[in-house]
Amino acid sequence: MARPIRLDTVCKEYHTAGTTHVAVDDLSLEIPEGSFTTIVGPSGCGKTTTLRMIAGLETPTSGTIHFGDRDVTEVRPQDRNAAMVFQSIALYPHMTVRENIAYGLKVAGVPKAERDAAVDEAAETLQITEQLDKMPAELSGGQQQRVALGSAFVQDPDVLLLDEPMSDLDAKLKAELRVEVQRLHKEMDATMVYVTHDQTEAMTMSDHVLLLEEGRLAQFAPPGDLFDRPVSQYVAEFIGTPSTNTLPATVEAADDGPTIVGEQFEIPAPEDRFADRIGDSVTVGIRPQYLSPDEGDHRIRVIVNVVEQLGTEFVVHGTSVNGAHVNVVDESVDGAGPDDELSVGFEAADAFVFDEHGETICHGDALVAARSASPSQ
Amino acid sequence: MLGLGKGPAGKYVSQRTQERVRRVSVILTALLVAIFVSIPVYVMIAIAFQPATTTFRGGTVNLLFDSFTFENFVLLFTDTGTPRYLFNSLIVTASSTLLATALSVAAGYGLTRFEFRGKTMAARAVLFAYMFSPIVLAIPLYVIFFTLGLLDSYFALTLALTGISAPFGIWLMWQYFQTVPIALEESAWIRGASRTRTLWEVVLPVARPGTIATAIFSFSVAWNDFTMARVVMSQDEMYPITVGASLFLDRVTIGWSETMAAAVLMSLPPFAIALFLQNYLLQGFNVGGLE
Repeated sequence: MARPIRLDTVCKEYHTAGTTHVAVDDLSLEIPEGSFTTIVGPSGCGKTTTLRMIAGLETPTSGTIHFGDRDVTEVRPQDRNAAMVFQSIALYPHMTVRENIAYGLKVAGVPKAERDAAVDEAAETLQITEQLDKMPAELSGGQQQRVALGSAFVQDPDVLLLDEPMSDLDAKLKAELRVEVQRLHKEMDATMVYVTHDQTEAMTMSDHVLLLEEGRLAQFAPPGDLFDRPVSQYVAEFIGTPSTNTLPATVEAADDGPTIVGEQFEIPAPEDRFADRIGDSVTVGIRPQYLSPDEGDHRIRVIVNVVEQLGTEFVVHGTSVNGAHVNVVDESVDGAGPDDELSVGFEAADAFVFDEHGETICHGDALVAARSASPSQ
Repeated sequence: MLGLGKGPAGKYVSQRTQERVRRVSVILTALLVAIFVSIPVYVMIAIAFQPATTTFRGGTVNLLFDSFTFENFVLLFTDTGTPRYLFNSLIVTASSTLLATALSVAAGYGLTRFEFRGKTMAARAVLFAYMFSPIVLAIPLYVIFFTLGLLDSYFALTLALTGISAPFGIWLMWQYFQTVPIALEESAWIRGASRTRTLWEVVLPVARPGTIATAIFSFSVAWNDFTMARVVMSQDEMYPITVGASLFLDRVTIGWSETMAAAVLMSLPPFAIALFLQNYLLQGFNVGGLE
């Protein structure tokens, strides 16, 4: 039975040699029942610690964790009916693949015949039937990870936790296993929490993404929202490849209201959010995918440094006139080469505006609303 | 200046020659060690399996086999306390090996997996204890066992021998458990296995090479011990074979041939163990950083 996971003001501190390190800081959120949630963030942001607290391998310093109505904050990992797949895979080297997958059932006292049936079913789903009588050391990395997934699968857990299970695999296997994991999620009645530092995995696999920044919640939302409506510059820059371009600008008072003025562009801004920000410096964020040589009302000039071809697209790494790093992703860059000057444009609708603390002031839609409200522009 | 150490590998001496030199020196060293070790063993065997009259014929020691006999062994078993000595050795060695291994596994696991006050101190104390020569411990132990009235007992000798072998065993297991990934245990806990069950079904099987190396070490300490047995035991029927055999020569009827036969008997168990368990031994000590 899948259960929702609720974290309530969870903190985790580590004390080493007199210093206190806060790994997870005041984290509150509810992971919906049966959903696939990915915890993502850079190294050391507390994502694995959060997962280990959900698993029961770490106890929060303060705050509570609930599975459904049950308070599991102090419950031993043995009694949570969770399953976990580890980054190091953690297969028992002295047991065959079959014994490895069935170990949880054996501990639970399931009779051998039932165990074997469950293992066979899992092996079939994961295409490892041929490997059942081998030892883990004889398997390739991808097969080992399938076995680890199989062990989790046969246990029918309420909560399935995966700790960077693919970080040691090559790109092709990752793509294969990504599909496998999603299929397992469909077949299993479990709330899945998946930790990764790879935002592609996070964006492609999950219903919800939890982005952490130094132990604090940066944003918890469906992947599309993270991409289109980031709550801060940190979120905008972390999600999406290449990273969101950030262009320095200031808010100035024009005849028809506040205007965001950058080195080469002027964007009319909504009165309600910018009226009291006249004179403030802000940052305009624009995704490389929304910059185009041919289109866009607001144009910036970019000195090209490097052009990479990615199949049908080109990625241009360049520098704007005032020295900011600017990336452009487009299908055609008109044969631009290093040191060429490229003029690219964007629509106000695709931009984000951040204040000097990196918090989002408004997204593109609000900027467009401002324009339509002032037809004189 | 020759500028040695500069330039690409093989600049001064070709890599092929280097490889050849390396191999020849390894073989030479091995040969030298083998000769040093096998000559005494050969002498022991030659004397043990020939009648004393043949060995010492003509006033010299005749080490080339020209006759073969078990008479020295027969004499050992009929005329001396050898069976009793062997039995004593067996009892004391078995119990000390068991105790030292159990202690090492428990302490090594604790040192690896638990944080407690004074952990580093404890670990250092263990290693420090290993530095003592047995004879340094012998007198204080004698006093302790005398006070407790435990002299001349298997129990006392077992404790004394464990005291010598356990520090190294603990240190070895401590190193070994550090190579067992904690994720193996955590994955078992999450699957519902208790800490104890995990220890038996996951940790110990994975740590088997280390455990066997520890057991072999404690075995060899106990089996080969002379000092502690000499101090703790004072009655002839409590002597282990090491002490017992050393006293043969005091008797008129027992000569070198019988003594060497006893030496052969003493060598058999370690030899068998080395033969059958050498893989485990190497794996275990490798992790301990010894090769």
